[in-house]
Amino acid sequence: MKRKTRHIVSLIAAVVFASLAVGATAAEPTGTEIMQAVYDRPQGKDMSGVLTMTLVDAKGKERVRSIKQISGSFTGMDKKLMVFQSPADVRGTSFMNWSYAGQGKGDDQWIYLPALKRVKRISSEGRGDNFMGSDFTYDDLGDRQPMEDTHTLTSTETVDGEACWVVESVPKDPKDLYSRTITWISKGKTVGLKRDYYDKRGTLLKTLRISSIESVSGIWVIKKTEMRNEQKKTSTRMEFSEVKIDSGLVDGDFTERAMTKGL
Amino acid sequence: MKHAVIDGYGPGGAASSRAIYESGLSLSKSVAITASVVLMLLGAVQARAQEQEGAILNGYARSKVGALVEDGSYFIAENTLDLRLFYSSGDAACFANTVLYEREGEPALPELREAYIDLSGGAFDLRMGKQQIIWGKGDGVFITDIVSPKDLSRFLVPDFEELRLAVTGARLDLYAGAHSLELVWLPWFTPTISPAAGSLWAPALPFPITPTVQAAELPEMELESGEYFARYSYMGSSFDLSLMGGWFWNDTPAFAVVSKAFTPGVGLTALTVEPEYYRTLAAGYAVSGTLGPLVLRSEGAWYGGRRFQGNPLAFAVGYAERDTVQYLVGTDFSVAGYNFGLQFIQDIIVDHDDDLTDEATKNTATFVVAKTFLGETLTAEIFSYLGLDDGDALVKPKITWDASDALELFAGAYIFLGDEGDFGQYDARDGAYVGAKLSF
Repeated sequence: MKRKTRHIVSLIAAVVFASLAVGATAAEPTGTEIMQAVYDRPQGKDMSGVLTMTLVDAKGKERVRSIKQISGSFTGMDKKLMVFQSPADVRGTSFMNWSYAGQGKGDDQWIYLPALKRVKRISSEGRGDNFMGSDFTYDDLGDRQPMEDTHTLTSTETVDGEACWVVESVPKDPKDLYSRTITWISKGKTVGLKRDYYDKRGTLLKTLRISSIESVSGIWVIKKTEMRNEQKKTSTRMEFSEVKIDSGLVDGDFTERAMTKGL
Repeated sequence: MKHAVIDGYGPGGAASSRAIYESGLSLSKSVAITASVVLMLLGAVQARAQEQEGAILNGYARSKVGALVEDGSYFIAENTLDLRLFYSSGDAACFANTVLYEREGEPALPELREAYIDLSGGAFDLRMGKQQIIWGKGDGVFITDIVSPKDLSRFLVPDFEELRLAVTGARLDLYAGAHSLELVWLPWFTPTISPAAGSLWAPALPFPITPTVQAAELPEMELESGEYFARYSYMGSSFDLSLMGGWFWNDTPAFAVVSKAFTPGVGLTALTVEPEYYRTLAAGYAVSGTLGPLVLRSEGAWYGGRRFQGNPLAFAVGYAERDTVQYLVGTDFSVAGYNFGLQFIQDIIVDHDDDLTDEATKNTATFVVAKTFLGETLTAEIFSYLGLDDGDALVKPKITWDASDALELFAGAYIFLGDEGDFGQYDARDGAYVGAKLSF
């Protein structure tokens, strides 16, 4: 979808959903409509910030990673560049992803390892793999399209004082990593506050909690989140700081030069 | 043949400047090494404290011990302190990487691995000084990676990042969107380091008798003696492409016959040779792209007038000049969390002559498989070279465990298979090693 068109749709969706949320007597939207609205929520043309990722093992031992990242949407593709700041042994390592939502094309991905001084194109097939040893998979961190699941609005509940829709999503692809997910979506912000992931056997596998959301340049940005693996008893906290929206990033900021020089 | 896998791994050792340490460790030396590691670590902690805005000081301290499998003798006993200082201010930056090696039986040796200044503009980067310049898309293969020479004093046993040497010169990168042009000028010639004669890794010489080897002369530092390289690169959503060319000194010398003695009925009875560095012209490409779950890549180059050793009785100077073509095709893919990489490499001597020491073609393959465990804290990898003509191989398994974010423990081995060929000639050199690395 063209970015401008997507923004218009997002705006309309936000107005419609605000009306639905305020109007007590209005009929509830369907699960698909809710998830489409979450997907279309305005996110800005570009974003930059620092991601601090804390990995906690089953014994409570913590490992911390700091990553500078930029992302943006350009003529039919979304680009993201991540550069590791710490720990020391991975400092300067960078990872770039170009994705093509709705175009039936797999992502392009590259990695730069400072020790080898070479940018290498890598396979993007491992979307179910864990991201840098965390409890998030690459798929968890990506923009999953609503059409990939069948959504059902099951109830409404309150999470942290906010009225939420509870939507069950079942993947259409039987090979998907999860058998189903349940998401609690804030009616006011159209943002998921909580999500449970169930494995192939239908057992609870992971839980995602959003603990901090802030408005940056008029756009809701998730600042703190935690994913817990309920089976392995591990968890990963992610905290975003120094977040900037629409700071004027251009296509030329996502190049081999940027990967080797860092952000 | 000086082929793509070990391009520049020439015969002899005339250019060698490093020794191989094969003797055993005494207790007192072990204590001394341990003490030096402690000092390194203390230095590292102090260095970390010096970090300030605009300047970054980091690096690592590493201790590594290895033994030959056949007789248990030590061949690696080294401690390394690697310090990297980066400072930036506006559009300018500088970087220095100095390494302090302490190897068994030798005093600690400081080495300036890189030291350069960067100037950047909107559409250009200029880097001047001692720097590593890495080209190509192959893994463990150096077809278009022709700028930086290699340290092959220990053959292909060290990790790849430790094989490359820096060159001294200027590099200008020009950018226009997804396109870039890289121009390199090297006024100083830096040769590849070959194994010292008589060392553990000294290869068999390509002569029927053991020759007397005279000292090599490096090219004079003159404007016309400079080396010149250019590379165009494109990074796109479908593929990445590089086109390169160079007019440069071959990093390893050819051996010219200075004198020889022939006894009727006996044959060649005396031979004196002199290592000669010579010019080579090269042009090549490197490309990679994605096809479904596969990453495909290819790399190839033509080299004009390379010198190949031959029968001194057939070639008066001991070598013949021939054009050569080298290429590789390869793929990377993942299955069930295991990452695989396969490459096929072929070297071709154009207008081959039977009196040349090398065959007309040489076929090699590489195979790598890697997997991470325990939340990516444990990595197991096997990298191998397979000589398809001689049925030989070099297999390098390695396990790395991140005990913490800073401390890495590792163990590995290298196993030579076969009786002859580039890898089989070292069949009795199988070894294993363990070590620890502290990053800061």
